[in-house]
Amino acid sequence: MKRAQFGHSPIPYLFVGPQLAIIVVFFLWPAGQAVYQSFLLQDAFGLSTRFVWFRNYEDTILNTVWLESAGFTLLFSALVSFFSIAVALLLAVRANEVIHAANAYKTLLIWAYAVAPPVAGLIGGLMFNPFIGDLYHLFNAAGWDFNHTRDGFDASFMVILIAVWKQVSINFIFFLAGLQGIPASVQEAARLDCRSDERRFWTITFPLLAPTSFFLLVINVTYAFFETFGIIDVTTRGGPGGATNTLVYKVYTDGFLGADLGGSSAQSVILLLMVLGLTVLQFRFIERKVHY
Amino acid sequence: MRRKILSAALGAALALSAGPAAAEPVEIQFWHAMGGRLGEVVNELTDKFNASQSEYQLVSTYKGGYEDTMTAGIAAFRGGEQPHIIQIFDAGAATIINAPGAVYPVEDLLRDQGVAFDIEDYISGVRYFYADSDGRMIGMPFNSSTPLLYYNKDALAEAGVEPPATWEEFQEIAPKLKEAGYVALSQSHSPWIFSENFHSRHNLQLATQNNGFDSTDVEIRYNNEAMIAHWSAVKDWLDAGYYGHYGRDWGANQDAFVQEKTAMWLGSSGSFGGLQKSAQFEFGATYLPHWKAVADEPYGTFIGGAALFAMSGHEDEEYKGAAAFFEFLTDPEVQYFWHRETGYVPITEAAYETAKADGYYESTPDAEVGILQLKQPAGEWTRGYRLGFYVQIREVMYKYYDQMLSGEITVEEGFEKIEAEANQLLDRFHDTYAG
Amino acid sequence: MAASEDIPARAAAAARPRRLRISGRTLANHAILILGAVFLCAPLWIAFMSSTHSAETLYREGLQFWFGDSMLETYGAVMFDTGGVTKNTTALTMLGNSMVLGLGFAIGKIVISMTAAYAIVYFRFRLATPFFWVIFLTLLLPLEVRIVPSYEVVASLGLLNSYTGLIVPLIASATGTFFFRQFYKSVPDELLEAARLDGAGPLRFFLDILVPLSRTMVAAIFIIMFVVGWNQYLWPIIMTTDDQLYTIVIGIKQVYQVLAEGGELPQYQEAFALTILAILPPVLVVLFFQRWFIKGLLESEK
Repeated sequence: MKRAQFGHSPIPYLFVGPQLAIIVVFFLWPAGQAVYQSFLLQDAFGLSTRFVWFRNYEDTILNTVWLESAGFTLLFSALVSFFSIAVALLLAVRANEVIHAANAYKTLLIWAYAVAPPVAGLIGGLMFNPFIGDLYHLFNAAGWDFNHTRDGFDASFMVILIAVWKQVSINFIFFLAGLQGIPASVQEAARLDCRSDERRFWTITFPLLAPTSFFLLVINVTYAFFETFGIIDVTTRGGPGGATNTLVYKVYTDGFLGADLGGSSAQSVILLLMVLGLTVLQFRFIERKVHY
Repeated sequence: MRRKILSAALGAALALSAGPAAAEPVEIQFWHAMGGRLGEVVNELTDKFNASQSEYQLVSTYKGGYEDTMTAGIAAFRGGEQPHIIQIFDAGAATIINAPGAVYPVEDLLRDQGVAFDIEDYISGVRYFYADSDGRMIGMPFNSSTPLLYYNKDALAEAGVEPPATWEEFQEIAPKLKEAGYVALSQSHSPWIFSENFHSRHNLQLATQNNGFDSTDVEIRYNNEAMIAHWSAVKDWLDAGYYGHYGRDWGANQDAFVQEKTAMWLGSSGSFGGLQKSAQFEFGATYLPHWKAVADEPYGTFIGGAALFAMSGHEDEEYKGAAAFFEFLTDPEVQYFWHRETGYVPITEAAYETAKADGYYESTPDAEVGILQLKQPAGEWTRGYRLGFYVQIREVMYKYYDQMLSGEITVEEGFEKIEAEANQLLDRFHDTYAG
Repeated sequence: MAASEDIPARAAAAARPRRLRISGRTLANHAILILGAVFLCAPLWIAFMSSTHSAETLYREGLQFWFGDSMLETYGAVMFDTGGVTKNTTALTMLGNSMVLGLGFAIGKIVISMTAAYAIVYFRFRLATPFFWVIFLTLLLPLEVRIVPSYEVVASLGLLNSYTGLIVPLIASATGTFFFRQFYKSVPDELLEAARLDGAGPLRFFLDILVPLSRTMVAAIFIIMFVVGWNQYLWPIIMTTDDQLYTIVIGIKQVYQVLAEGGELPQYQEAFALTILAILPPVLVVLFFQRWFIKGLLESEK
């Protein structure tokens, strides 16, 4: 807190009021509702309600569809995070070294941050369209019997590729900033100490980027969990055979398209606990960074 | 609601000051899911209705796809802002009909408002699909279609074959079509065409409790011999190159036909207009094939599409308007207009007669195929089905059909899983709605 | 895009003659960066080129890599005519709605978080700590996990299909508040003391000193928030069922649905044109205000 502060006055209440009001109405109340509804069996129109304890959790979480979806979500998040971080790191390290055209590269590599996931999804989907998609034809010509409308692996490959494409830019920006934040003296010393580029990267640069990487991991996992909704909704819609059904997509289809409020709420609560875990992780890390 | 009261009060005040002649028409809200060209036709219908009388003002609003419209209706109902009339699709029928007191059954509405109603006026295949177990009509069929087989005339001529009436015939001609360079068949909606209508076509029971009409305590009967045999055949056709599976999108499978990759395509009677625009070849339409081994003669099919429901919680005055709109919709001329403009089938016998008398089917014989199919003999199991969480059940079917076709699981395993997961959902639905 | 596309190539070519001794590492650097740039830019290039061809060409020949001759026609149809992939609305309407959402989101979020952060940092009041934790809590509850009840709340307030209902639930999250809290804490205490000596009250101090001081911060966060607002998807698709309120990103879903439903010759060129229109405004903002954008991104995500 600041040492110098204003004393008692109604002003802080007025200033913090709008945000609090919005939070109470649009955050706390709905979140409470989500938790409450997860214990209810209620028809879509709200005309009959039964309190059923953990029935919704049992029905939806202990269900093969949910477990498969959770498995896919975890694998999907791991792969999307890994590849988009790896590609971005590679590009950032190289972009940090080049002298010529450095700004041009930077411009060409960061703009995709501003593309909305569903827009990336639609473009990607059309690249893979069985009638006009070049990638579809390319893969098939190369001997890969590629068909994302029929094959779960191929569909997963496609959504992961699109999700990575969309996420490389933001990771690149953070890595580049991280690299540029390494003091020149440290870099100079490293260059003298370690002649091999390869070794210098792994022994000096990479450990220095570790906080950034860890922080990006959290951001990327959150992205893969939630924001890829837009990609999936305009490409595979969770198919084929449920192969690309993420947990968030399932909450949406069950709650909104299927009118199963209780089941959808129970899944939301589980997701909420997952986010909680992620956030705790993130804050432990931030604390460490403060010490560092 | 508050706004409505306010505008009613305002209307009353205006009426007082201007005298009775300027009485405001009662506003009737109608939410529908008809986009694009279909939406334009709905708007034309709305204008026609509003021009036909001065007491009511119908306001039609497009609310997105079928699911979106249902979701919007549900949320509005929970918020007390529901429209007077809403369009709900086949798979969502159980959700709205089983919710106690969400709708005002259309048959009661019409009778209460003194509009003559006789369910026998409706075409047999259409009549009971949105009715309750006693045969009382709850929702009025609005846009009704039925699955048909479209065939590429040139392709069939090239292979020297006729369009098949049965799947046995299909199996004979498929190799010839393959020789001529075509995949014989694709289809656009496996739950609707290869599951639900498969059962009505062969007069097979689809679920216990009278296909779900009598109770929500129901079990699905998809795991039966005929279905397993059919899907095993489909898988064989796929492996032999007689059947094309282009994913679950309606459009991709239709495009395969339009692009002359497949010689035949199972789509909807409502697909006719679109095909006329996009297909660069001559095509014809005929009945949905059946297995002679299962049913010697085919039975009528179910309708697809959606129905209009009057939602509860409104004023009597407004229901009068809703009834007037329903009455207007069943007018033979209006039905004929709808049928002609959209390709959906007319829902009453009188409308069908009007279209016939006008010589419509002489100029466009394919437009009649759907109605004739719906008028084929009815059986014990052809009136329809009423299953809860059916949107999710269709997802389950899509999922395992995909896996069956890709060879991940056998057909038998697929149906076991479909049965198990569908029954779990039905069980949940029963506990939700009977509770 | 055509020009910027070959900048790295040209630059790399220009680099060669000047220094004769080029290390393998430098060559590899450029090769990798060019590959990366192609990976990111090629889809956009292909989408743009394909949008300038006719539906028939795309259907027959597949994706395109160079300009076709129906660009004006396609973009004109998408922008100003209903029907086709935009159904009952036009891209112009959708762009307008996206602009309202992007600006409303950015401005709303900045105003709300600036004031809230000011109260928390500069005042000693009884509920400061609980308030802080409530605000903090919003970080734990992404919209996705409370989407159904949020929808109900907005529905019961009669805010469905309104800009208010679209924007307000999105602006409450705490990221902005944390950002400004961090910034205010870095403002020297002497400023406040000096202001007090001049007899400035809390309001004057905020408006005359703190707000002007935050200008660059506000600009940076504004860029980010505009892009984030513009790109919102899940909430708008649930919230808006009236197509006159569709944003261009919702238009993308509609395009997908039109293509998936099929029926007529797929208008791929219009689909591509709409993606270009959806991408262009936020990308231009990001590139044009690159410095602020990067600053904002680095600061706000911390």
